[in-house]
Amino acid sequence: MRAQFRSRIRLVLAFIIIAALGIVLRLYFVQIVNGEEYSLKADRQFSSGGSGLFDRGVIYFTRKDGALISAATLNTGFLVAINPQILSDPEYAYSVIFEAAPSAISREAFMNAAAKKSQVYIEVAHRLSEENGRNLSEKIIPGVQVLRERWRHYPGGELASQSIGIVSYGTGDTLAGRTGLEAMYEDTLARSGDSLYRNFFAELFSNVGNLLVDSKDAREGDIVTSIEPEVQTRLASNVKKLNIRYSSKESGGIIMDPATGAIVAIASYPTYDGNDLKSVNPALLGNSFVEHVYEFGSIMKPITMTSAIDAGVVTSETTYNDTGCITVNAAKLCNWDSKARGIIPMRQIIMQSLNVGASWLADRLGQDKFRSYFTKLFGEKTGVDLPNETGALLGNLSKPQQVGYDTAAFGQGIAVTPLQMIRALGALANKGEMVQPHLVSAIRLNSGIEREIDWGKKVRVFSATSTRETVAMMDALMDEVLYNKKAKIPTMSVAVKTGTSQLTNPEGGYYKDRFFHSFVGFFPSYAPRFIILLYTNDPKGVQYASETLDAAFLDLVHFLIDYYAVPPDRGIPS
Amino acid sequence: MRLCIGIVAILLVAYIGLIATVVSYAALTIEFSQSVRNDEAEVAALESMYLNNVERIATTDYIADGYIRPSVTKFVPAKSATALR
Repeated sequence: MRAQFRSRIRLVLAFIIIAALGIVLRLYFVQIVNGEEYSLKADRQFSSGGSGLFDRGVIYFTRKDGALISAATLNTGFLVAINPQILSDPEYAYSVIFEAAPSAISREAFMNAAAKKSQVYIEVAHRLSEENGRNLSEKIIPGVQVLRERWRHYPGGELASQSIGIVSYGTGDTLAGRTGLEAMYEDTLARSGDSLYRNFFAELFSNVGNLLVDSKDAREGDIVTSIEPEVQTRLASNVKKLNIRYSSKESGGIIMDPATGAIVAIASYPTYDGNDLKSVNPALLGNSFVEHVYEFGSIMKPITMTSAIDAGVVTSETTYNDTGCITVNAAKLCNWDSKARGIIPMRQIIMQSLNVGASWLADRLGQDKFRSYFTKLFGEKTGVDLPNETGALLGNLSKPQQVGYDTAAFGQGIAVTPLQMIRALGALANKGEMVQPHLVSAIRLNSGIEREIDWGKKVRVFSATSTRETVAMMDALMDEVLYNKKAKIPTMSVAVKTGTSQLTNPEGGYYKDRFFHSFVGFFPSYAPRFIILLYTNDPKGVQYASETLDAAFLDLVHFLIDYYAVPPDRGIPS
Repeated sequence: MRLCIGIVAILLVAYIGLIATVVSYAALTIEFSQSVRNDEAEVAALESMYLNNVERIATTDYIADGYIRPSVTKFVPAKSATALR
């Protein structure tokens, strides 16, 4: 009896041990061998976050009344996929799909896809509208799936596209911002999961902390730019018109608030439509405002003039003998017309755009002081919130030859980015203080908090009195010279300067007949609301910037005065 | 015994109710989420329309449309209504 009991006990024990071994073995396979697979499967079931739909924050333009208009948002619709293993009538399926989505793949490609019987999922059409997607879905064709899809959409098309940027796959399999603000603010705009789809109860049990205060909500959000859509449109229209009219290689323009550095409009041409990336020339994806450097020519003269006045080597009353041409280090430097003016005051250097006068100022300043001012103005990147910003080429200012300084004084031999140029010229408008140009004014976090970005970094370069004297010269240029003396606005002072520089040739010299035109202006001259920089590269059949850019500049000035109701600063009876 | 059966029945009903609530919540969440997305897409379409209109106005050639450029432009030295801003 006892022996029988013992054998039964052993039997039960053996059974338990075998069962335990079985469980341990099973656990080994579940946790070690297939652990990762089960973990992913569990994640999908548990969190249900993997909807697979693309999500991303919005980039906004800001209208003058504060209303936000999307510059980059999401569009929603449908994609069509086929399962070749189930699809029985490819001809019929294609005709129905093509009717709903004319942008679907070609008939030949569709038939090739349908013939791949080893596959179960091939996408054949994208971006179907809500209506077309639903209509196609209702037809219930075996082997045809109509699925939800979201994609990046730019309501303005070409509007500020080079600064807004694009979203694409790049070299990996993740959609991410690749250029412009899309790349610069990737951390804010990217979405790590769709919180709207999360299972509340699952989160309640698994992650109470995140349910109450989600760290993503303090990081993810939308971005608000200072770009004003109507001003942007006007600038883009003018830039495009002038580029086409003069068959230029490229043209661009920036409108900025000189007191804050907020960029109100920034446009270049040629450009592209971010909604149609298939037809984008990859060379255009970069941003010439920060990635390219140019020799801007005579719009550098007001900076040279202010440096000389600020250093105390000249005053606005100082005179010099303009000989028309000078020889420096065996190089002959001449005025634009090679004519001598004799003994003339400083303001004529700006008003007649005299290279000899600018070189004379550089001589008076001396190499150390000249280098000091120009390094302060252009030696550092602007820090604008755009990717791939490059620095200025100031090599000539570290050599002992005076010719490098004399040419830099009128904007040749040194090259800077358009944003560096408007930032430096902005110091003249802003009573000697240089501000930080920027596009984004605030980030609207998903948590509901709107975080203003502090762009308050200011660098004093000149005294307010020295800039005022130069501004008076630029003001006189507008009133007494520009547009055959017809540009003057009786109720608004406007400070301007044109620039024409020769383009460099591959041999290291300069073309005699190819030019870079630039134009800067700000108004009201002594308390500016806006500073405008325009340029056009290699315009054909025209030599001077005053011929190409003054009409566009004046159009923008009048538009801005009307649009913002800028109050007059002169010509009003007291 | 009856008490036990009663408790089990209540727990079962509560369990089923909880499942139903979770499923309904998930379905509604997805539905609302898609509704928000659809509304955003509609707003984007309106924004596109607005920006297209702005562009059309900016690029309109009024001379080509029959308007005549004024022969004289005169600036009136009147105080702006917004001068106090």
